[in-house]
Amino acid sequence: VRGFFGRVNLARLDRGLRRSLPHPDRALAAQAFDARFYLVRNPDVAAAGVDPLGHFLEFGWREGRDPTPDFSIDAYLAAFPEASATDINPFVHYLKAGKPRLLPADPPQGFRGEILERLEPVENRLKAVLTKSILLSQPEDLGNALQKSSTGLARLHITFSHDDFTAHMGGLQAALQREAASIATHGREHLHLFPVHPWPVVRTAAEPGALGVLWNGERLGVFSAATVAEALATTTTGTDSAGRSFAIHSLLGHTADETADILQAAGLSAGYFWLHDFASLCAGFHLLRNDVADCGAPSSDSAACEVCVYGPWRARHLTEHAKLFSRLKLTVAAPSEATLDFWCSRTSLPVAATALLPHATLHPRGVARAQVDRPFRLVYAGLPVAHKGWPLFQALAVRFFDDPRYEFIHLGARTAANLPIRFEQVIVGPSAPGAMQDALEGLDADAVLVWPLCRETFSYVAYEAAAAGCAIITGPDSGNVAAFVAEGDHGWVIADEAALMAAFESGEVCALSRARRRPMLYDLTYSALTADLSPQGGNT
Amino acid sequence: VKVLCYSSFTFSYLNRARVLFQSLRRFHPDWELVALITDCPPPGFPFDPANEPFDRVVWASDLGIADFESWLFRHDIVEACTAVKGPFLYQACASGADAVIYLDPDTALFASLSPLEELLETHDILLTPHLIDPNDDHAAILDNDLSASRTGIFNLGFVAVRTTGEGVRFARWWNDRLLRYCYDDMPNGLFVDQRWCDHVPALFDKVKVIRDPGYNVASWNLSTRKLSIEKDGRILVNGALLRFWHFTKLGAVGDAMTKRYAGRNFPVYEVWAWYKRQIAMTTDTAIPDRWWTFGAYADGEPIEKAHRVLYRERADLQAAFPNPFFSGAGSYQEWLEHEGA
Repeated sequence: VRGFFGRVNLARLDRGLRRSLPHPDRALAAQAFDARFYLVRNPDVAAAGVDPLGHFLEFGWREGRDPTPDFSIDAYLAAFPEASATDINPFVHYLKAGKPRLLPADPPQGFRGEILERLEPVENRLKAVLTKSILLSQPEDLGNALQKSSTGLARLHITFSHDDFTAHMGGLQAALQREAASIATHGREHLHLFPVHPWPVVRTAAEPGALGVLWNGERLGVFSAATVAEALATTTTGTDSAGRSFAIHSLLGHTADETADILQAAGLSAGYFWLHDFASLCAGFHLLRNDVADCGAPSSDSAACEVCVYGPWRARHLTEHAKLFSRLKLTVAAPSEATLDFWCSRTSLPVAATALLPHATLHPRGVARAQVDRPFRLVYAGLPVAHKGWPLFQALAVRFFDDPRYEFIHLGARTAANLPIRFEQVIVGPSAPGAMQDALEGLDADAVLVWPLCRETFSYVAYEAAAAGCAIITGPDSGNVAAFVAEGDHGWVIADEAALMAAFESGEVCALSRARRRPMLYDLTYSALTADLSPQGGNT
Repeated sequence: VKVLCYSSFTFSYLNRARVLFQSLRRFHPDWELVALITDCPPPGFPFDPANEPFDRVVWASDLGIADFESWLFRHDIVEACTAVKGPFLYQACASGADAVIYLDPDTALFASLSPLEELLETHDILLTPHLIDPNDDHAAILDNDLSASRTGIFNLGFVAVRTTGEGVRFARWWNDRLLRYCYDDMPNGLFVDQRWCDHVPALFDKVKVIRDPGYNVASWNLSTRKLSIEKDGRILVNGALLRFWHFTKLGAVGDAMTKRYAGRNFPVYEVWAWYKRQIAMTTDTAIPDRWWTFGAYADGEPIEKAHRVLYRERADLQAAFPNPFFSGAGSYQEWLEHEGA
C-alpha cells in the first residue's frame, strides 16, 4: 500500500474536510503530529493546500501515510493487529494506549529469508525501464548551447553517471556535485550525461535509450547519443583536445560504444573510470548475491553465480566494460585502497594506470571531552534499509532496549519501525553536509553500527563517525569500512553477526566507550574527485 | 565409462525435467540423456525433442510392457511414472552403456556427479538415503525419520547402477517387482518403487550407501544439513560440495517444510528462489495445468483412483476390458456406471 498513494481527490477533500466540527481526535493527535514532515512526504497534500492534520485524520492514515518521521502506520498495524480490526486510526490508538512499545517480531526465516521472498528478477526491473517512453528534445538545443562556448570547448570536462546528480541525493551524487563545483570554479565547462530513465544494468546497442544532458549544471534536455556525439564533433572539430578531460562514474544505462563514440567526437580517448561500485565486475554492482550476502565476485561459471539473480546478467556487464576499456585508455580511480586492491584481483581489464583518492580525509582537531559513567550509546546513522545493516541494529535494539548498560539511538531522515528507542531526525544535504557528524558529536555517541551487507567502496558514515569520536562497529564483508577501521584503529571489526550479539550480551562492546577510549576528534575535508586528479584538473 | 542418465515424467513435469537436463548438460555434456515419458503431448503443444535439453525420448508405451493399456490403467500418475523406471533401467543395461543413473525430474545439479563414476568402479549399486543423520527433536522425528520409515529408507529420486554384475541383477529384480507391485499402498508395505529398495542391502552385494551430504538434499533432510555459499563460488552442505538438490513439492507445502527446517539458513532460500525462476522460464503455457493423457477416459472424464484400484484387484474386469480407457458402449467406463455403482 505504501509508496503509491495516488493523487489527492479534491472533491472528496471538500466533503471530508469542510465540516464545521473539528475531528474528535484532533486535540490528541495535534500534540504529536508533525505537519512539516507530513507535507514534505506528501507533496500532493501540500499542493492541494489543505490542512495536513485534517487530511491525516480523515484520509491519510487509511492510505498508510505516516504522521511523524518516527511512527510507521504499517509497523504499528503489524504489531497490533487489533488496531486494524477496529477501524481506529493507529496513531490515535498509539497515543491513547500510552505509546506502547513495539518489539518487531523476528521472522523465523530471518530478514534475509524475507528479502529473498520478495526478490525481483532483473528482467522485471529492466522491463519497467524499457516500457517508459522517451521524449527527445530538439537537437539544435544542444548544438546551440555548445556553440555558445567562447573557447570552442577547449577546457571541457565530460562526465557519465547513472543519474542527474543535481536532482537526486546520495553519496555519489554529492561527490559529483563537488567535482562539478570544482570544475566550475576553475572556469571550465562541464557536460554531464546520464540515462534519461534509471537503468538497473548497462545498456546494449539493441535497447532503446537516450541521454539526459546537464550543461554546466543546467538541465538542457534529452538527446540521442548520436546527437550528442554529432554536436560535440561539430563544435570541437579542428580544435586542440589537450585541455579536455573526462570521467566515467557509472556505465549503468549507457552502452560502451555510445560512450566511446561521444568521447571520440570530442577528441578524447584517455581519461578516468571511477570505482564507485563494482558494475565493471557484475550486474549486481554491490556484489550482493541475491541482495543478501557479499559474493566476493567468484568465477562466472560458479554455483554461486548460477543461483544468483544477477548471474545471467553478469556477462553483459563484463562484455560492455571490456569494450569500453578496449576503446579508451582508462585510469582506474578508486576512493579506497581496499576497493582498488579487490577490483584488481578480480579483473583482467586493460588498465592504463590506477589512482587512489579517498572522498574524505580526517584532520585531527583535538581530544574529545571526558565522559562520565553512563550507558553505552550505540547509534545507527542513515536510512533504515537492509543492505546498510538496519535489521542487525533492530535486532540489537529489540534484544537490549531495556538493558541499563545500553542506549540505542537512530539518526536519519526517517525511521522504519516504532522501536522502543530514541529517534532524531537528521537530514544531510548540500546546505548541511556535516549534519550527521554534528549530531553524532552532540550526542557523544560511543559507537556507530556501520554493518553494510555489501562491500562499500567508500563509507561517508564511517568517516563521519570517526570524525565525531565514535567507534565504528562493523563486519568483515563491509569493504572499505572494515579496512578503514582496521587501518586507523577506529573501532572493531567483529567476525560475524552472532559474535556481534555476543559482544553486547557479554558487555565486551563497552570497551569501545568514549570514557575508555578517550578518542580524537577530526575535521573532514572532501575531495573533488576527478577535478583533483586530472592533469587538466582545476589548474589553468 | 559410458553413462546413460534418465528421468521419468509426464508433460506436466516437462518444465522440471528441462531444468534437470539443462543442469546435466552443463556438467556432463558427454552423458546420454534420456527422457522417459508416460504421456502423450497435449493437443496444441508442438513437442520437438530436438529442441529439448535431452538426447532422446523413450515413450512408456514402447517399453514392451504386456497389455500396456490394461497395465497402465492400474496406476495413478505417480505410480505409473515410478513403475516404468524399472523396465527402462533393465533394458538400458543392455543398451551398451556402462552405467545407468536415474534422477527424478524435480532434481537439479549444482556440481559435477563425477564422483559417482568413481564409486561405480568398485560398487555396482548406489543409493542415497533420505537421512544420513538422525533427528533428535520430536517434531523432526515425526516429519522426517518416521516418514522415511513409512515410505522407504532410500530416496529413489536417485539410483545408479553398473550395467553388469549386481547392477543388472538389481535392475532385473526391480523391473519384475515394479511391473507387478508399484502402488502407493503403505498399509501393505508398499510405497511405489521405494519400499522395495529397503531390501537392497540385504539382497545384493556391492551396494554403496552414499552418506555424503551433498547428494539429494531435500526438505526431509534439511534439519541436519546446513548450506553455505562460499566466496570462491562453491555451495557447500555441511562442508561438502552440493551435488544435487531434490526440489520436492514445489509450492506452498514445500515452502512450509523448507522454512520449518531451513530456519535462518538463508542460502537454502537462494537455491529455492533460483529453482522457481528456472521453472518460470521453462514452463510452456501450451501445456494445460496438471495435464496427463492417461488421467482421463477417451471422452475426457477424469479417472477416479477408486476405478483404478477396482480394476487392478479384479482379474475378471481386466479380461473383460483389455483397454479400460475406452468410452462408450461396452467400455469399462460404461460398466462402472451401470454395474460398478
